Amino acid sequence: MRRLRIIHTESFRLAALFAVLFLGLAGVLMGLTYWIVEGTQRAELERVIDADIGTIENGFRGQGIREAVEVVQQRLGSDATNTDWTGEYIYLADGSGKRAGNLDALDEKVGLMWLTRPYRSPSDGARANGTSLDRGTSGRTLRPANRPDAYGRGTVLGKGVALANDVYLFIGRDTATIVATRTRLIHAFGWVTAITLLLAAAGGSVFSMQFLRRVDAIARTCNAIVAGRFNDRIALRGNDDELDRLAGSINLMLDRISELLENLQQVSSDIAHDLRTPLTHLRKRLEDARDKSTTVDHYSTAVTQAVEDTDELLGIFSALLRISQVDAGTRLAAFHELSLSGLLKELCAMYVPVAEDEGKSLQQRLMDGVTMDGDQELLTQLFSNLIENALRHTPSGTQVVVSVTVLPDAVVTTVADSGPGIPEHERAKVLRRFYRLSGSRSSRGYGLGLSLVNSIANLHGASLVLSDNSPGLKATVSFRRGK
Amino acid sequence: MNLLLIEDDIELADSLAAGFRDHGHSVVHAADGASGLRLAREPEHQVIVLDRMLPGLDGLSLVRQLRAAGVRTPVIFLTTMSGIDDRVNGLEAGAEDYLVKPFAFVELLARIRVLGRRPADQAVTVLRAGDVELDLLQRTLIRAGRAIELLPQEFRLLEYLMRNANRLVTRAMLLENVWDIHFDPQTSVVESHISRLRAKLNADSAVDPIQTIRGAGYKFLAPS
Ligand SMILES: Nc1ncnc2c1ncn2[C@@H]1O[C@H](COP(=O)(O)OP(=O)(O)OP(=O)(O)O)[C@@H](O)[C@H]1O
Ligand SMILES: [Mg+2]
Repeated sequence: MRRLRIIHTESFRLAALFAVLFLGLAGVLMGLTYWIVEGTQRAELERVIDADIGTIENGFRGQGIREAVEVVQQRLGSDATNTDWTGEYIYLADGSGKRAGNLDALDEKVGLMWLTRPYRSPSDGARANGTSLDRGTSGRTLRPANRPDAYGRGTVLGKGVALANDVYLFIGRDTATIVATRTRLIHAFGWVTAITLLLAAAGGSVFSMQFLRRVDAIARTCNAIVAGRFNDRIALRGNDDELDRLAGSINLMLDRISELLENLQQVSSDIAHDLRTPLTHLRKRLEDARDKSTTVDHYSTAVTQAVEDTDELLGIFSALLRISQVDAGTRLAAFHELSLSGLLKELCAMYVPVAEDEGKSLQQRLMDGVTMDGDQELLTQLFSNLIENALRHTPSGTQVVVSVTVLPDAVVTTVADSGPGIPEHERAKVLRRFYRLSGSRSSRGYGLGLSLVNSIANLHGASLVLSDNSPGLKATVSFRRGK
Repeated sequence: MNLLLIEDDIELADSLAAGFRDHGHSVVHAADGASGLRLAREPEHQVIVLDRMLPGLDGLSLVRQLRAAGVRTPVIFLTTMSGIDDRVNGLEAGAEDYLVKPFAFVELLARIRVLGRRPADQAVTVLRAGDVELDLLQRTLIRAGRAIELLPQEFRLLEYLMRNANRLVTRAMLLENVWDIHFDPQTSVVESHISRLRAKLNADSAVDPIQTIRGAGYKFLAPS
């Protein structure tokens, strides 16, 4: 199974592809080598033939046909008919017929020619029968061949010359040596092929195994997550190769998913726990009204209060839904350019009378013409929540200042008050859902305001920082600026 | 007023219809989108109350088809969806108003009455009610011949109240139309602004045209 998987990996396929490419290249190289070597060898053969012709011709020019016959006999040695030792064929004839050589007869043609030696095999014999050159005696004749590329034992390259008017000399050489070279080349090529394939298979397997190991590691992590271990992450190698980058992206995705999952779990547990309290109150109130009310007035007060309780429950519901909707990030699509200065100016104008009615002051320190990309409605809610906190969780006489400042890389907005502030160790906790300081429990509110502020800030890529305004609380929302 | 109620929740529809009749409106009820669309094309309805989720044809496509057919009857959506997108989608489809279930009946009633007002009102440039005169172009307020300075938000508040004179406007309607606020503030924004407006408006006058309806909202009283 594992072996099959290796073959099906991309790296193995790649190794195979490279092997094939390499072999193709090697083949071309071999062909070229062969072509060059063969040309050289043929030229060498012709040179040897020319040299032999030269020797015999010298003899003939010097002392006539006798001398030529002698030279030929010397060359062929004792057995004048044996061609197998040297692969050399000689035929010397004059007007009276053959004078010397190891061929019985020959078509006396001048120039370079290709010939074959007939074989004794029946088919060769049958083929040879048709030609006029074959005089029947085996090994002693040659017949013309028209395929000069059919080298090999029995294929002969030769040259005929007329030494004088009626003196004809032929010298031929067997081409077996060329074939031997070819065979050696083919063998070498065979070895190269075999070694290449072996290396490719081995290398491909090793790489694929490594690849598979890492893919298996990724798959194992994913399976672990499926099995419920949501915090598992794929180990990175740190070399930033493609698998590492893939694993990094998967890890990022897992982070986001577990964030959303946590969010979902949080919302469900919030609903389970925190809606229980107001529901219990509501139920108790209705029960009391049923059991204890004696007058219509009693009843109507109880019902009015029950309606108020219901409205509070609905308020919690829609606040929770809003937070989870913002966290899901679907609102990003509705972003457009808006005037942050304008938005804050309107909000301040809206809350100034509220502040004054409660004996507080609300001032604005706004730079003009500050724009940004965002969701108008959500940003309105964000600053409204901060301003309302500064008005609701502070005593009368408190001063609230809303500001917006443009820095080179950020737009910084603050809502600062001079109230009691939030102790440092509580600042992270108040961002949690339903978390309220013990002093605020008696006042209206769900403890969801800052959670929503945080979510909206996150959606805008902004950070929410709560700090000490000494005295009071300073909420800073910094939007990144970059274009 | 003649109302068309398109709502598939029979229990809710019955109770709404009874409530409308108690307040002197006549109601025609359709329980699904197809028959609702057929009835909505008839011109005698003044306001259509439309559930967003309907069997067959949903509310959103119903409004689109209605508007495409040239029917201009005002539509108010009732919906269980409270997403921000949902409201925007509803208004873009051609509805005039939007109310999330569950809601207070007075809220729906107030919105229907406002929707049912004659559209010709929109072209008016000066709003007059008794001795109060609001010039929408000059952005000035004159009461009993004396000019009164208003802040921009106070001006918008008074404009909305006067446009809907003698009709109840709820806190949520004021927040939406005057401040473009679509959530429930935890402070007395509306109350504070009304009291500022009242103080300016009534500085030299014994009659307060802005009536507070407890637990519901406000009404600008105009002598007819
Ligand atoms: N400006 C502030 N000064 C002092 N305490 C504050 C301030 N803002 C927030 N807090 C504390 O942080 C808690 C959480 O604030 P958050 O806005 O999340 O909830 P809330 O205001 O109580 O209720 P709501 O959901 O209506 O906003 C508050 O209950 C309050 O105790
Ligand atoms: Mg708050």
